[in-house]
Amino acid sequence: MSMMTMATRLGAALLATTAATGVLAQTEVTVWHQEQVQPRIDQFQKVIDAFNESQDEYEVVQQVQSWGNIYQKLPPAVEAGIQPDIQFTIPDFTVTVRDTGVVQPVTEFVERLDEEHGFIEQAVVPYTDDGEVWAVPVYGMIQVLWYRKDMFEAAGLDPESPPQTWDELLSAAETLTGDRTFGIGVPASKSLATDQVLYSFMAANKGQELFAEDGSVAFDTPDNVETLEFYRQLAELSPSGIGSWTWAEPQDALNAGSVAMAIEKGQYLSTFESASGRPASDLGCAPVPVSDDGERASIYYSNGAMIMTDDPDRRAGAEAFLAFVLEPENYAEFLLAEPGLFLPLTEDGATDAWKQAEALQPYQECVELMIEQSTYGKLPGFNRGTVEDAIGPIMAQNLMSQVVQRVVVGDESPADAVAWGQQQMEEALSE
Amino acid sequence: MSTTGSSAQAANAETDAAGPKGSAVVPVRARLGRLFAAPIMIWLALTIALPLGYCIWISLTNANTMGGTPRFVGLANYVTVLTDGTVGGPFLRSLAWAIGGAIIQTLLAAGAALLLNRRFAGQHIARTWIMASWVVPTIVTAFLWRWMLNADFGVVNHVLQSLGLIGRPIDFLGDPDFAFITVTLVNAWRWFPFMTLLILAALTRVAPEYYEAARVEGATSWQVFTRVTLPFIQPVLYVVGLLGTLWSINVFDIIWLTTKGGPLDMTETMPVAIYERAFQQFRLGEASAMSVSLALFLLVFAYCFIRFVPRGATEQEVI
Amino acid sequence: MAARPLAAPVMRNLLTLLMLLVIGLPFIWMILSSFQPTSVLINPRELFRPDAFTLENYARLPSEANFLLILRNSLVVALASTAIAIPLALLAAYSVYRTRYRGRQTVYLLLLVVYVFPGILLLAPLFKLFSMSGVLNTWLSLIIMNVTFSAPFSVWLMRGFFTSIPHGIEEAAAIDGATDMQILRRIIVPLTAPGIVVTGTYTFVYSWTEFLFASVFLIDDSLKTLPIGLEGLVTQYSIDWGLLSAAAVMTALPVVALFAFAGRYFVEGVTAGASK
Repeated sequence: MSMMTMATRLGAALLATTAATGVLAQTEVTVWHQEQVQPRIDQFQKVIDAFNESQDEYEVVQQVQSWGNIYQKLPPAVEAGIQPDIQFTIPDFTVTVRDTGVVQPVTEFVERLDEEHGFIEQAVVPYTDDGEVWAVPVYGMIQVLWYRKDMFEAAGLDPESPPQTWDELLSAAETLTGDRTFGIGVPASKSLATDQVLYSFMAANKGQELFAEDGSVAFDTPDNVETLEFYRQLAELSPSGIGSWTWAEPQDALNAGSVAMAIEKGQYLSTFESASGRPASDLGCAPVPVSDDGERASIYYSNGAMIMTDDPDRRAGAEAFLAFVLEPENYAEFLLAEPGLFLPLTEDGATDAWKQAEALQPYQECVELMIEQSTYGKLPGFNRGTVEDAIGPIMAQNLMSQVVQRVVVGDESPADAVAWGQQQMEEALSE
Repeated sequence: MSTTGSSAQAANAETDAAGPKGSAVVPVRARLGRLFAAPIMIWLALTIALPLGYCIWISLTNANTMGGTPRFVGLANYVTVLTDGTVGGPFLRSLAWAIGGAIIQTLLAAGAALLLNRRFAGQHIARTWIMASWVVPTIVTAFLWRWMLNADFGVVNHVLQSLGLIGRPIDFLGDPDFAFITVTLVNAWRWFPFMTLLILAALTRVAPEYYEAARVEGATSWQVFTRVTLPFIQPVLYVVGLLGTLWSINVFDIIWLTTKGGPLDMTETMPVAIYERAFQQFRLGEASAMSVSLALFLLVFAYCFIRFVPRGATEQEVI
Repeated sequence: MAARPLAAPVMRNLLTLLMLLVIGLPFIWMILSSFQPTSVLINPRELFRPDAFTLENYARLPSEANFLLILRNSLVVALASTAIAIPLALLAAYSVYRTRYRGRQTVYLLLLVVYVFPGILLLAPLFKLFSMSGVLNTWLSLIIMNVTFSAPFSVWLMRGFFTSIPHGIEEAAAIDGATDMQILRRIIVPLTAPGIVVTGTYTFVYSWTEFLFASVFLIDDSLKTLPIGLEGLVTQYSIDWGLLSAAAVMTALPVVALFAFAGRYFVEGVTAGASK
């Protein structure tokens, strides 16, 4: 122990000397994010380097975490006072992390950015609660229907008129199901991936809200039972492994041509050609089909950045960096960390530099479609500008996907499963 | 290993069998003994006892994983977790996991050890070879099996289908009927080689003279096994039975990395349930109460095990 | 074992072969697959295509998985853990197996009781303790826990050759007027080599495979170990099976190589006395 204290003291002394001599006059701003893939880290680093070179007051440093352990790491880090200055987030994570008490409201800053760049409504609303905005929106993600045009053609369907309604989706899936191919692949594991696909269908069938106006859980509705029944029918037209599918498997299956359709976000674009060995023109996309009396909608994630320091210098540095990222001339570079998955959420963000980038160039129609679909985006528990805290544990426990599991792999009736989900959500609410 | 002097082994065996418990104590070395035990005891006090104390304190508060000031609530968390009906399932699954795993692994390991305890060409290679599944990181094991058992493009389903054994592919890790046994087997695949080594260690100490003598007396294979082999591996089975059970009940990574406790909670054992309560429902106080309860249960188990299970000759000197 | 029925040896050899295949086939499959492009790996209709042989997955390792860095990190952590665990375990083993004092049984039991506590239970309090002492986000935090969970069992692993030396030797030496230190040198020194191999290998393997603590105690990217690096490849939206299988092979390789070299001594060490 004494060795350690000695080392720490030595380090502190060293730091103090360098600081005193003015070598370290820069303020260091740390960023934690959960994008672990090396190309994304490298791309982020490019933007960070550009920022660090553009001024000499602040030095931004990225530290890569994972969604798998951020819930275990952040709270003790806060307690120990070593949390990052900027923490990348999604809306339900923000709800949970706000309990640590160090998330700073960024309302005025976001207003300033909004005047300059024009956020879409879906970007800011999910982070709005108690009259404040709690994270700076940085990029969006939207789910659409992906399909293989070549398989449509082979099955005698028109590749240029993808299904728009649930009935059309079901009949297309039936037509496309063959000997060793499946019409569609929907996940049915206990995972966020399944949560998301189910919610897209719920949103397209009047089930966008998990909570009633008075804050009570409103999951057990005839519409949601109908949605679960529809999901069950789609699952029957899916491969037998969907009980353990998350994100990768539907994409792999679509690329391999073993399923013809899948509901997912934009990560399908950039690897389609290399992973499927098919030309880019074989990949089709369409809005998530809508039920008879539903409206166009699908799940939309506004990914944001929380500021978690109350030190004025660091906070100023964090704001300067985030403002830098959202500048159109830097934004394209940032979004290309994951071409197609990361979408601009500002009016001036869909620049040519981004759209015409090599990875996106062959998929112009789909890029446009995703930007358009984003404005129809919904997120469970976050559509009203006020947030139910229970959404944190509801999403962290993947309760919606557990309902899917009960129906698809547990053979429970949709009505019973939805009632079970309602009860679980009420328990989360009672905390 | 069994190539060198068999008389030395016989001598070892005798020392072991005699058990030096009653032998003369050398008083001067008592000081040395305490001195030498001190470093590891201090080490464990700092890294186990200290955090454990903190954990017990947390279990008596309403701590939220995400922060806030914890308030003392007495035994409320213990009452909650033991009565709200959510712990029964994971607890029973943990028992099934430990017992099932113990049976499968012991049988596999004992069989493997008997096979490897022979002289044959390449015995050294074989003994090293079988350790392969133990030396690679769990995450590699998890990935390897998730991939081979994949229902869409996994090699296992492919082979089973080509052989005509199954019609539709089986989703081994996603089907509630298969998931638990599949993960149990994957875990056994990872751990039985190490257990094999421990049993093999005991087997090599059986001097050939014992087998010789048994054969001269006309003993059957079964008699040789129960009267000669078993007594020698019993001490190892004893420690492995104790430690193996503790390890096995505390296994988290392989389950989490393959099924996340699903499907339909079929593989949600106690550690998984504790993890979920702490890091998905954010009830740190309740999660701590669950883990302290589990640790207490394991302590009682360990006590009973040490008290009542016959430990075999060679370990008498220590426990 | 010569006096068995004739069929038995053949049967045994077959069973041995089967056992080796059960262990080995998954790895062989992993190695074969690491030379295939991902497009083949995820295709349900193509299990393996000899003509699609490629080294691309390995070529991508340094840039796309930062592999050399995490490999080095893992090596440093495993070697340092090993260096600390060896003396700790050797001393404790001597204490438990070669001396007599009141409380010795308690010491032995405490060594086993360590395994009652799940790592998850200790995660949050350890994080706090480590951050207070400045150990968090350093390799030291992993090294400390690797030693905690590997040294106690190493003590037990060494019982074989510690108990294999007749106690008479020490007593005789004592009667001859040898001092404690002389006895120690005579007993402990010969035991050091196999002790180092057994404890060292066990701790190395433990450290090499450790996942839970490494995933939480390290914050800086540049410090991360192999299992964490691999996790980064697994949990993303799309799993790059080709890259992953190459990374898995390269992760298994050093420790398998170590085992191929030291494994025999490890096995002999654990199997006790015989090689003394």
